[in-house]
Amino acid sequence: MTDLSDIALVSQVAVFHNKRAFDQLVRKYQSPVRRFFLNQTLGNAPLSDDLAQETFIKAYTSIGSFRGLSSFSTWLFRIAYNVHYDYRRRQKCAEVDLEQAGAAETTASSSAHTPALRMDLYHALSLLKDEERTCITLQLTDGYPIDRISDITGMPQNTVKSHLRRGKEKLADYLKRNGYDR
Amino acid sequence: MTNHKDGLTGWDGLTGCDDEKLIDRFFGEAGRQEIADEGFSERVMARIAQQDVAAGARSALLCRLWTWFCLLVGAVLFMVLNGWAQLVLSARVLLSAVLTQIEVVITTAPTTEILLTPAMVVLIAVFLLVVLPYQTARKLCAVL
Repeated sequence: MTDLSDIALVSQVAVFHNKRAFDQLVRKYQSPVRRFFLNQTLGNAPLSDDLAQETFIKAYTSIGSFRGLSSFSTWLFRIAYNVHYDYRRRQKCAEVDLEQAGAAETTASSSAHTPALRMDLYHALSLLKDEERTCITLQLTDGYPIDRISDITGMPQNTVKSHLRRGKEKLADYLKRNGYDR
Repeated sequence: MTNHKDGLTGWDGLTGCDDEKLIDRFFGEAGRQEIADEGFSERVMARIAQQDVAAGARSALLCRLWTWFCLLVGAVLFMVLNGWAQLVLSARVLLSAVLTQIEVVITTAPTTEILLTPAMVVLIAVFLLVVLPYQTARKLCAVL
């Protein structure tokens, strides 16, 4: 039913350039997409919102290329993943460690109002590699199964499984060390 | 969305069920909260509208450039193919044909049933020589 209504909205946008239909899609998916970016950027809210905005604008401009082979949410998350991947690559190309330090400060300041549990979550996620973090958050917070994580990230399923296994080992270790097992 | 537990193959084999529950509980408490919109959707739609305006301006510019290009090509062809002489010749032929027709109508009017007064002839002449060229020029200016 959800997929059906998504496809109806998408066709309204693609055929009639219906902005109201796209507005409904944005309202429906803003929370999971922003949460995805919050987890990837370790709680940097302004950066997450910028990346989420870029994701929705890319989705709007390339909605004609959506063929309906996967669900709209998978397609949208694939765009989000690519946006984040491009952002990371730009950061690496720039090689500005100072900026990263600045970003860390922003993270800390934006996390000032974040509950302690979320701070722990971001700290735990910071221990993971980028790919591990993406796979872990897609599975544990967004509830995607391995095949769809593979569709979103473009990684083979076995690679996704490896990232999940290693990521979960690190998370379990972190949680145990911080007394979450009691 | 599918339950994430469907995708735990490859994890169960290496770590214990307790670890799995521990991580699941932790993410359940900390990771799955809904994020309030707080104007985010409006900001996205506003940026999309801005982008549409920019795209519209770009296509209008392209349209204008294309019009000028066509006009330039037309002018060059006009010069190369000696268009002015052709135009003068055509105008002369057209004018003499119109005058001949008017002359025929005027001379035969009293003998036919067509009611053609001198005022009507003036009206037709005004239409052909003033209104029609004026309207054509106006349309051309609007396009350019």
